[in-house]
Order: sequence, then C-alpha cells, then structure tokens
Amino acid sequence: MNIQTVLQLFRRHFDWTLALTIMAISLLGLLNLYSATRYVPQRGLFQQQIVWLGLGALCFLVFALIDYRTWLRASWILLILGILALIGVMMFGHTVNRSTRWLGIGSFGGQPSEFIKVAVILDLARLVHDRGSGMTLIDLATRVGALVLVFVLIAIQPDMGTAVMVGLICLSILFLMARNVRWLLRGAGLFCLSAPFLWKYVIWEHVLRPKQKGRILAVLDPSSDPAGLAWQGRQSVFAIGSGQGTGKGFMQGTQNKLNLVPEQMTDFPFSVWAEEWGFAGSMVFLLLYFVLIFWTLNVASETRDRFGATLCCGVAAFIFWHVFANISMVIGIAPVVGVTLPLVSYGGSSMLTFFIALGLVASVSIRRHARA
Amino acid sequence: MQLSLRSHRPTSGMPQQGKRLWWALAVVVPAFLLLTGRLWQLQILNGAMYFERTTDNFIKERRIVPIRGRIVDHHGKTLVDSRPAFNVYADPRKYQEKVHDRLIAMLAIRTDRATSAWRRASVAIADRRRRPVLLFEDVSWQQMASIEQGASLLPGVSVRDTPRRLYPYGQLASHVLGYMKEITRRELEQWSDDGYKPGDYVGRYGLEMRWERTLRGTDGTERFVENARGARVADAEADELIEGDRLTPPEPGRTLVLTLDLDLQQIVQKALGDHPAAGVAVVEVKTGRIRALVSKPGFDSNMMTGRVTSSALKAMNDSPYKPFLDKTLKLHYYPGSTFKFVTTLAALESKLQHPNHVTTCNYSVRVADRIFHCNRRHGPVAMADAMSQSCNVYFYELSQVVGIDRIADVARDFGFGSPTGLDLNGDVRGRVPNKAFYEERGTFRVGYTLNTAIGQGDVEVGVLQLALAYAAIANGGRLWLPQLVERVVSATGNVLKEYPARLRHRLHVSEESLLELRRGLFGTVNDKKGTAYSHRIEGLLVAGKTGTAQIRGGRREAPAGSAWHPQRDHAWFAGYAPADDPELAIVVLIEHGGSGGRVAAPIAMRILREYYALKTTAAARGGAP
Repeated sequence: MNIQTVLQLFRRHFDWTLALTIMAISLLGLLNLYSATRYVPQRGLFQQQIVWLGLGALCFLVFALIDYRTWLRASWILLILGILALIGVMMFGHTVNRSTRWLGIGSFGGQPSEFIKVAVILDLARLVHDRGSGMTLIDLATRVGALVLVFVLIAIQPDMGTAVMVGLICLSILFLMARNVRWLLRGAGLFCLSAPFLWKYVIWEHVLRPKQKGRILAVLDPSSDPAGLAWQGRQSVFAIGSGQGTGKGFMQGTQNKLNLVPEQMTDFPFSVWAEEWGFAGSMVFLLLYFVLIFWTLNVASETRDRFGATLCCGVAAFIFWHVFANISMVIGIAPVVGVTLPLVSYGGSSMLTFFIALGLVASVSIRRHARA
Repeated sequence: MQLSLRSHRPTSGMPQQGKRLWWALAVVVPAFLLLTGRLWQLQILNGAMYFERTTDNFIKERRIVPIRGRIVDHHGKTLVDSRPAFNVYADPRKYQEKVHDRLIAMLAIRTDRATSAWRRASVAIADRRRRPVLLFEDVSWQQMASIEQGASLLPGVSVRDTPRRLYPYGQLASHVLGYMKEITRRELEQWSDDGYKPGDYVGRYGLEMRWERTLRGTDGTERFVENARGARVADAEADELIEGDRLTPPEPGRTLVLTLDLDLQQIVQKALGDHPAAGVAVVEVKTGRIRALVSKPGFDSNMMTGRVTSSALKAMNDSPYKPFLDKTLKLHYYPGSTFKFVTTLAALESKLQHPNHVTTCNYSVRVADRIFHCNRRHGPVAMADAMSQSCNVYFYELSQVVGIDRIADVARDFGFGSPTGLDLNGDVRGRVPNKAFYEERGTFRVGYTLNTAIGQGDVEVGVLQLALAYAAIANGGRLWLPQLVERVVSATGNVLKEYPARLRHRLHVSEESLLELRRGLFGTVNDKKGTAYSHRIEGLLVAGKTGTAQIRGGRREAPAGSAWHPQRDHAWFAGYAPADDPELAIVVLIEHGGSGGRVAAPIAMRILREYYALKTTAAARGGAP
C-alpha cells in the first residue's frame, strides 16, 4: 500500500466515534487539570500537560496511519526493549517516593513500566495469532516467561499498582481470546476457592509491605487509622461527597484549594472533578469512558483477523482496569495504589502510552472493512 | 452505530463469533454500575453531610511566638528576661459597645484608655474585619482572671499571652543592652523570609539589635480546625482533617552570657553620683573583656520597649545630656592629659630624649610668638615627674623634639583614630591629627604639635578606646579587641558557642619604654606630688593619669564648682589596678565635670575600692566574686 491509498483509506474510514470520545475525555481532563494544578506549589504543570497532549495526539495519528500488522513481527523486539528498559530502571533509575520507576537522560525521562503495557498487549496478540500455526510448547513457555518477568520487574520497583494492571490485562485477554475457555474457567474456579488461603498465608504474610497492608485495612475500616494511611483516601471521599449533585463549580473546590486532596493532578484528578462538577459531572466522565471501552470492544468484534481483535481487546482491558482501579481508589472502595486515570492524569509516560494504544485501535478500526 | 454482538461472521477475529463480548460487558457494566452507585451514595445521599464538613471547616494556623533569649552577666545574673504578659483582644465580628462597657467595668480601666480602645474596635467592626483587635496590652493577673471567669458575658473577648521583654534593672547598662521596638514596614519587607510578622518586636538598640537573630528563636505553629461559626473543632476530629503534626513547638531564643559584671556595673552607676553626663569603661587587662560599660544618662529600656509618649521622647531628645548617644562608643572627646602617654612613648621609642632629661617649668612657654600655659609652676621635672604631675611645659618642649608625626604613629598603633571593633552603638573612629592632616586644611604650624602632645587641639578619643589603650600599657603591649559576649547558651543550658578573647595586634613599643611609662603613671596616684595622690586607696596600688580637657572657647564663662556646664572642661581619669599585677583598666569621663584630678579620679578610686572590697568579702565567703 502506498501513501496515497493509506490517506484515502484514512479519509474514508477514519473512526470519528473513537477520536471524538478521546478528544472529549482529554479536553475535559485538561480543563480539570487547570483547576487541580492551580493551588499546588509547582508551576508550569498545566503548560507541560498541553505539550504532552499535543504529542499524544500526534502519536495517535501516526499509529493510526501505520498498519497495525506492521507490529506483528516486531512485537517481541518491543517486549525485549521494554524488559531491558525495566532492568535499566532497576540499575540507574530515579527514585520518587521510595519507588524506583523513572529512567531519564538529562531532563527527558519516562516510566518504562507505562510503555511496556503496549508491548505486552502486542505480544499477547501475537501469541493468540500464532496459536495453532505450529507453535511449540517451548515458544509458549518463552512468551509466558517473558510476561512473568515483566510482572516481577515492575513489582519489585515497587509498583504494585502497575504490576497488577499488567496482570489483569493479560488475564482479560486470555479470557476473551482463548479457544477453549473450559480450562480457564476451571482454573478460575480453583483460584477462587484457594484465594482466601493464598491471600492469608502467602500474600498477606510474605508479599505485602506494611504500608500496603495499611492501605488495604484503611479501605476495609476507614476509622482504623484516620490520621495516617487512610488520610489521603478520606480526604478524597470528603471532596467528592461535598460536590453533591451539581458540584461547587469550576475552580471552586474547597478541598482542592486547600490542597487537602493529595496528588490531585496525578492520581486523584477525578476527586477534583467530582468536587467541582458534582454527580452530574462524574456521570459524564463515566459515560465517556464507557463509550470508549464499548466502542473498542465493538471494533474488536468486527475485526476479521485475530491479531487486530486481540489488540483491541487488550486496549479495552487496559483502559477499563485503569479507570476502574483509579476511580475505585478515589471514591474509597479500593486501596490507594498509584494507577493513573486514562487521558486525564498529569504525566507524559501515561499520556503517551494511552494515545499510542488508542492509535493502534484506530489503525485496526480503519482497516477492519478492507479485505486483508 | 452498527453493533455486531449478534452478527455471525465466520471470518471474525473474535472466537465464537463475538460471544465473548458479552463476557466483557458482563464485567464492565457491573463495574461501572458499582462506581455509579458509590458516587450516588457519596454525592447524592450523603452529599449534604460531606459538604457541611468540608466547607464549614477551616484549617487555621496559629503562630506560637518563641520566648526571646535572656541576657545574663558574667556570673549568670539575669540582666534581661522575658516574662509572660496578657493582652486582651476583641473579635470585630462579635464585639459590641455593650460588651465593651461591661469589660471596662470589670477591669476597672481608666476612661481615656477605654475610649481609645473602643475607637480602635469600632473602626474594625465598621470595616467588617476578621482579625482580632488589640484592646489592652499587658493586663494584670487579676484582670486576666476576671475576664476568664466572665467569659460567657463577654462574647468576642479573648486573652492571649505574649512574652514581654523585662529589664529588671531599668536604666542599668541600658546602652549596652538596648531596647526593642515594633518592627517597621521596611524591616518587615526585608526580613519576611525569616518569619517576622507585623506587630513583632525587634531589637532596636544595643545588644538587642546586634544579636537579634540569636535572641529571637524560631516560631512554632499550631494548626487547628474552626467551623463556620468560628468555634474550634475538637482535636480528635481535627486530626482527621489535618495532615501531619498539629503542633510544632517554637524554639526558644538563645541566652547571651556577657562579659559584664552586674555588681561592678552597679558600683559604677552609684559612684557617678549626681553627675548627669558621664561615660565609664572597665576592661579586663589580660583579655579585653568589658567588665562594665556605663553611659550616663541612660534610659529605661522597659519604657522604651513599651509605648513611649511623644512628650517623654521629645524631652529625652532635647536633653543637653543626650541620653540616646552612647558616651562610651558614639561620642568622642578631647582626651587632655590622659593622652600624654602617647607623647612619652613616642619620645622613648625614638630615643630622642632620655627619661632623665630635666625641663624647668616656669608656668608658661613662648613658642612661635604664642604663649602656651601650664596648669601651675612645676619647676624642674624629668619624664616620670612630668607624667605624674601632668606638666604641660615639659610636653610642649618634648613634642618639639619628637614631632607630630611620631606622636600620631604611636596613637594609631594604640587604636586611636579607628573603631574599637565592638561594632555596637556607633563605635566611632575618633581623630588623630598628623602633619598631613593640617597641610590638607591649610598650613601646618608648630602650635598644633604642642596641642596634640597634651591631647588638645584636634585629638579626639572615645572612652572605650582609651580604656583598651591603658589595658595595653598595663599588659605589656597587647591591644585587645573589646568583647561583650562571652558565650551563647541554648535555653536548656548547653553552650552553643564560646567566644575567646581576640588580640587586635601587638603594639610596636618595647617593654623598657612601657616600664618607664608605667613608672610615671604609678606616680600620679602614689607620688606625693601626683595629681591623684590625695585619692589613693589604702591596700590597692593604682596607676593612671588624670586629664582635664579644655573645651574650645570655654572655661572663662564657666561658674565655679563641678556641676555640668557646657563651658566647663571634661574631667578624665584613665588607669589600671592593681599596679603591680594589673587586672582591670578603667576610664572615667565626667562630661563638663571640671578638673580630672578633683572630679574624675575620686570616682575611679571609689569604683576600684568598692569592687575589690566586694571581691575580698566574696572570696572570704568562699564563693566566686
């Protein structure tokens, strides 16, 4: 296909539903960020975010233009690069809040753990695509091994939130794309039965750090530790609740102004939004996310090749789990873990990753009608 | 929108023709419903409760002012302290005239104070201000207690304790200690980063100013939550709203331990008697540490730190005795005969005149067609006699041999003409003229040399300067930097910094010359013909020099006696004791007091006598002096 035909395809089949939904979410997010960064000591965060948004839009278009099947054979290279970057983080990374997640050269830096989610999705899509066409058990073992390695590397940063996100994305893809689900269902059943024991004797005793345990306890019983660990979550709940039906108005959030809600631009932007725009505003956001996820799944169902379909399912899972985990945490029904809100949270790595992922979906969407 | 959930396309990438999409939605839809339900619960069902708890609560920060550091003397006796004081404030949002009248009656406050307080409060009420208005400063314990008891009758009235500076000895050492004043707008702009707030008091004079940062300490803060009605929310509930510590305690200011000796300071103050204007410096010979520094008249630091009425301030400013000018540091005077030691040393060091050389004093001498007088006819005198009897004629002759520049060089070596290095209350340079000095102003004449030799003409020195010079004579030629602060101690008593004695420089004079000079100074008090012989002390050998510095164009109009008169001479005594093993150097200046031998010398002797008597009794009791 030459450039001419690509552009023609682009004009005829460009997915406006997807693009407009994305635009709506990110512009509302930007508006919200203006308010959220108004009362924090750091300056220039809003301008920085505009730059990220512009770069993100560019990435979206570029990845939409490129045929997604280009990535089929390159997926394992991306994954290896991602793993190398994670190892680099482990060795030379920056430490913020006692967690080493950042890799930077000069002032340019990023979180490989964000970008690797796309590589994981691409690699899983290829796994699904390749199955049955002469894939040996060794091939399978290497692939699964690589994914487990990614999970472990992120978990030891420590960034439990992101590690769990990667795990959930993998499981979601397997459930949606596996040929025979019976074994998966049996596995799930077994997991459910053993979960309480696994939780109590393995995870609780040996995996979780005291801080993480505290956050979990804080959700189960908010009054157990009001001044300490649950404080962030409590402030967020107060802010959201006080928004009532229609909110306090743009830039009028008292909790936001007092800087009572922690990390209001990175992990808690929804709390600022819900305080200032109320239940009505919250619903607008939830609806937009629902449309985005639903539409991505729809593209998946209409796509004829397995690689594209799996890709879309993976991105849908990626967005869904992020939205669900972030908002649950913000409204106090899940522990406080550092998971970003897609297209809204402040930060370059997260922003670009979501735009790249959605660019891939757009690429699939444009080409779903054409004959392969 | 074409949904394909039910479409069966054999070529679809989804397994089992997209049936799995239902699975995905089976997770996504309930998840979103869960989020919606929780948001409904928070924002719609309980929204009003959360709204009230967030908008009605204000986190406020109250500054806790640190207690300012004390200033104590060498023996640890308190010279400056801080005491708790109670100030009464009114909240303009609740205060009313009715309440004001009730408060006045309760506290029994004079009507003029009451009306001016109401004027301030009513302005704040009219402007709808929120910041409390200061009604009355420094009320008594009883008044404070009655306010606390009647709190329910006095809405909007509150009492806050603010540490207040206390100078227990009033005027004593007021120039050294200084006083405090409310911070100015300019200072506030300059120091805003250091935590200063409007209404703060800062050191404005003396050590209070010089050591402001050390004495001040660091602010503490208390954070608390107030609801919309202005009531303070209970601490347990406030903890939920405040992140981190509620209370950061203030760090109290540091204590300055001075070199001053309170007892000696009091002795000096007493010895000065009725003389209205005087300056005294007592310096430790072996260290340069200041043991007493008195500038009279002083001022009451308590009054200066509080509210001074403009009439009182005007009276002090207009006073001919100049209470706001430190007479030991800021002002300089003709040294008169106390300066003759410089001429003596210039002769001895240049070896231009042998100490045994005899000059005959016939009351006056004619030099360059002018007649220069002595104070009396001394007859034949050698160098030591000329010193002890203060013969001007001898020094007129000597100065012509030595020349003005050699005299000026020795004077500069002794620190005259440059600040002492104490860096307090002015610390002026004084003036030492040489040939070049006069040539710059016109022509040099030999008469200038003659006047310079006896500490007149254009020579001007400060009291502390002179004391340090006499200490250097006594200690064998070491000129010390004067020292007032010995140690800085934390509020809990740990020594934070120790200041050792610092040498300014070693003088360029030989020990033989100093020995010869000290012989003359010893004679002043101990030789029958000495100018201070009649004031010598039994059991204590003192050496020194009297001085009677003439005022330009003065003397003739001055009435008899020693009362202050602008035309009368300044009376000086400068010396050290004990003469055989010098410990203290002392300089007494009685401004316009008359004869040094008759007025200043007895005061210096009295100071030394009483100090050593006190020291002996203290030693006998077995304690430190």
